[in-house]
Amino acid sequence: MGNEHTIKSYDDELARLTAEIARMGELAASQLEAAIDVVERRDERAAQRVVDNDEAIDALEHETSHDVVRLLALRAPMARDLREVFAALRIAADIERIGDYAANVAKRSIPLSMAAPVAPARGLRRLSELATVAVRKVLDAYRTRDAQKAHEVWDEDVHLDEAYTGLFRELLTYMMEDPRSITACTHLLFMAKNIERIGDHATNIAENVWFAVTGEPLQMPRKKGDVTAEPVMPRLGNR
Amino acid sequence: MTDLATAVHRGPAPAGSQPAAAQGADAARVKIAARDLNFYYNDFHAVKNIRMDIPERKVTAIIGPSGCGKSTLLRVFNRIYAIYPKLRAEGQVLLDGENILDPAYSLNRLRSKVGMVFQKPVPFPMTIHENIAYGIRHHETLSRAQIDERVEQALRAAALWDEVKDKLKRSALGLSGGQQQRLCIARGIALRPQVLLLDEPTSALDPIATGRIEQLIEELKRDYTIVIVTHNMQQAARVSDLTAFMYMGELIEFGDTEKIFTKPDKKQTEDYITGRFG
Repeated sequence: MGNEHTIKSYDDELARLTAEIARMGELAASQLEAAIDVVERRDERAAQRVVDNDEAIDALEHETSHDVVRLLALRAPMARDLREVFAALRIAADIERIGDYAANVAKRSIPLSMAAPVAPARGLRRLSELATVAVRKVLDAYRTRDAQKAHEVWDEDVHLDEAYTGLFRELLTYMMEDPRSITACTHLLFMAKNIERIGDHATNIAENVWFAVTGEPLQMPRKKGDVTAEPVMPRLGNR
Repeated sequence: MTDLATAVHRGPAPAGSQPAAAQGADAARVKIAARDLNFYYNDFHAVKNIRMDIPERKVTAIIGPSGCGKSTLLRVFNRIYAIYPKLRAEGQVLLDGENILDPAYSLNRLRSKVGMVFQKPVPFPMTIHENIAYGIRHHETLSRAQIDERVEQALRAAALWDEVKDKLKRSALGLSGGQQQRLCIARGIALRPQVLLLDEPTSALDPIATGRIEQLIEELKRDYTIVIVTHNMQQAARVSDLTAFMYMGELIEFGDTEKIFTKPDKKQTEDYITGRFG
């Protein structure tokens, strides 16, 4: 962030804010990995632990919001500082949502583990790997204030969307072929959607990193790979 | 939150080709144009090669660290330096296209067009009424009733009328600091100038009086071109449409206030407004 402020405690407060975000991000990424792990291991107790751990992220978000309000009120940040503080507030909100989605995935793994295993559960692994990479990469972009890296995350979300669309189709096919799989597949569908949303929050974070660094909005139209909401999904059920 | 997002995201128009002109300002008419302006206190080169266009009926703030030449620049705009020897300005300051630095441009004419308010309110040791009427009588020949009307107009425009209308015959020295400063603004307005120069007009005032002056500035810009020098960056951000950042006598950056305070182009500007200077 360049040279230091004349008032040293201002630097300390900004550094503290950045550290809080990094800690929140690390927690959220770990939660996501743990959530997928419990799905695969069909471990209900571990799943409950993941659900419970979400509180820590929520608590950090409160702390971050408090620090942002304090900084705005007492320091009246300007220019890059203002963008940093503003971005921190928004990024914290996105990380908090990522944590929620990870907890949701873990929560659904409990009823899922009570149903007979279904094959598409494996597709969730691929999806979550893409999401984890996106989250870790965008947090790294935030830590290093690397706008270019943030932009890459933003661009790469299309792969996650495509993987989600693929899994969506696969699950529909399964449900059509074997109605007994509907319960499990519906849970998986919601989990897949949660993970796809995590990717969207990673792109939100990317936009805020970009803004904090460059002062410009990252607003050009982004390629969308999730076509599941389109009226006629191409080649539905023909795979 | 969404509003803030929009506010911070909404960038001004891209930088124009003329760096010295206010970038991104909508095409307001230029009221004051400085052209290759230099100013010297004896041998000290206080203002260096300033080129800037100050738009009409906008508030332009000049900020910068102490000694950067901002007050000097303001004082050149009404040639107030001319009362001291060994001070000289080179270049041009065009007011509506006419060079006010030209000795042929009479000071009387200039003073009637450009009013100035200083850091410390300096009411004349006279009645409130006379503080304002004095200048009017100096420039125009009016009947008593006409003068009374102008005094009232000026006091109303300076948001002071309601507080002083019952004590116009009392000494101005009995007013509070904030009231005195508004009286000085009223005195400036009474001559119906086109430009108001404010040199740190609120630095000696409490927050409430400061708020009143800032509100007044917002109202006055409908009729006047205002240039304000301030040490208070928040104030510059609050009241101005355009901000100029000066450092060591040079104009470093001049553009839309919103842009200067969210995304300045120059590192020096950024360092100064974020408190990283020195």
